[in-house]
Amino acid sequence: MPYSTVFNNHLSNPRNAGELPDATVVAEETNPVCGDRLRLALRINNGQIENVRFLAYGCPPTIACGSALTELIQGVSVEAAAKLTRAEIAAAVGGLPSRKQHAAALALETLRAALAALHKKSEFVRDAALPPSMR
Amino acid sequence: MLPYLKSKFGNPSSVHRYGQEARAAVDRARRDVAGLIGARPNDVVFVSGGTEANNLAVRGLAESAANHGRHLITSAIEHSSVGGICEALEKRGWEVRRLPVYEDGIVRLDDLRAAIRPDTVLITVMLANNEIGTVQPIKEIGKLVDEERERGHRHLWLHTDAVQAAGRMELNVDDLGCDLLSLSAHKLYAPKGTGALYVRRGVRLTPQNAGGHQERERRAGTEDVPGIVAFGAAARIARDELAERTTQVRRLRDRFEQEVATRIDDIVFNGRGDNRLAHLSNISFRFIEGEGLLISLDLQGVAVSTGSACSSGTLEPSPVIQALGRSDELARGSIRFSFGKDNTEEDVDYVLETLVNSVTRLRQLSPLNKALA
Repeated sequence: MPYSTVFNNHLSNPRNAGELPDATVVAEETNPVCGDRLRLALRINNGQIENVRFLAYGCPPTIACGSALTELIQGVSVEAAAKLTRAEIAAAVGGLPSRKQHAAALALETLRAALAALHKKSEFVRDAALPPSMR
Repeated sequence: MLPYLKSKFGNPSSVHRYGQEARAAVDRARRDVAGLIGARPNDVVFVSGGTEANNLAVRGLAESAANHGRHLITSAIEHSSVGGICEALEKRGWEVRRLPVYEDGIVRLDDLRAAIRPDTVLITVMLANNEIGTVQPIKEIGKLVDEERERGHRHLWLHTDAVQAAGRMELNVDDLGCDLLSLSAHKLYAPKGTGALYVRRGVRLTPQNAGGHQERERRAGTEDVPGIVAFGAAARIARDELAERTTQVRRLRDRFEQEVATRIDDIVFNGRGDNRLAHLSNISFRFIEGEGLLISLDLQGVAVSTGSACSSGTLEPSPVIQALGRSDELARGSIRFSFGKDNTEEDVDYVLETLVNSVTRLRQLSPLNKALA
């Protein structure tokens, strides 16, 4: 199946690729079966995803979905990002054949892992501000 | 070939003049294909391609020799057609021994000798591998089979899948000592859909297509006359131009490999020994996945292939590269570069340029890349 133009464009010119030195949170997820791997770094400011970077190892859909995901969440609120679906990621790369849906699933999982880590971190930060007796 | 698609429309089984015209064309092609492998024309059976040739050879021999034994020996790096037939036979009660290959991608005669049992009826080992191009010692295996026969092991036959080797190296069935040899037309630049099986006189096969007398009862079904005519012409040209083509692709391939080794770090050549075909190069690129590199090159007009496939979230790393003892990551990152008769030095320059760029870009993207981690 030939991939769509938008897919090929993400592959040739991945958006927001690389690392984020001042990231608030970094998550990396692996598909244990095929070894595909996605790393997502987010910088959060005032509940907004101010900046985002990704790294990907895997088949072309994994790279394209990583790239498309960064575009979908750049500049949106953490709350809105948490509502993103797998179908929206797949649509953003022009659709995926069923055997490649796992790439969109990995992108979504990595996003959720990042948001979960962010949640944990913010709880920790809030807790740390409390006196020891109240933690 | 074109006249047989347009005006010369006879069926070779028909007795009228149009049929006989087609019959004569098929027989001419049979002589040409036989000439490519040093065989008697009557020992060449036309089929639909390499996969069917392998099916007729392995399944046909196994079924026909079942009374003498149900043990086969093959290699760990066969084409999926032979691999798949062996698996199907195993389900029906045959035993299959798969000889390992070592880092050089070649089977060992000692392993083969140790694997032969009194009930072994078939040894099927490919002549040259389709992913890494390593050439197996079929001639030596043929001698070993002869020795076995002299010792009284009469019901033992040798098949070799020469699909990848044909047109790329000298082939002679008597030299090789094989009883069965598979060929595919499109590997010789003929259209896809035709192939042939060489069957040494006296070797009995159970036909896998029944219901017609074509091909001396060995393959029922009306012959693909245009495809066969093209196959014959391609075989003749391949034989004539073998030396010239081989020298040219070897020069391109060797320069390509040299430059890749100089310009790209963290690579592993697969099967880069002396015994290999001149037109293939197989390289594993660390930190990146083969399919990503394949598509990236494809978008720039460079067509390569990978033995790995990732679908439905399950990955099948190339079994051939794994059989060399490579890690999953290296097996996933392997790419086959195949040079053809029409490739030029400029093509090699372009491939090198796009390859260096693509590998660099994909590695910058890769979380496995230690330099970035």
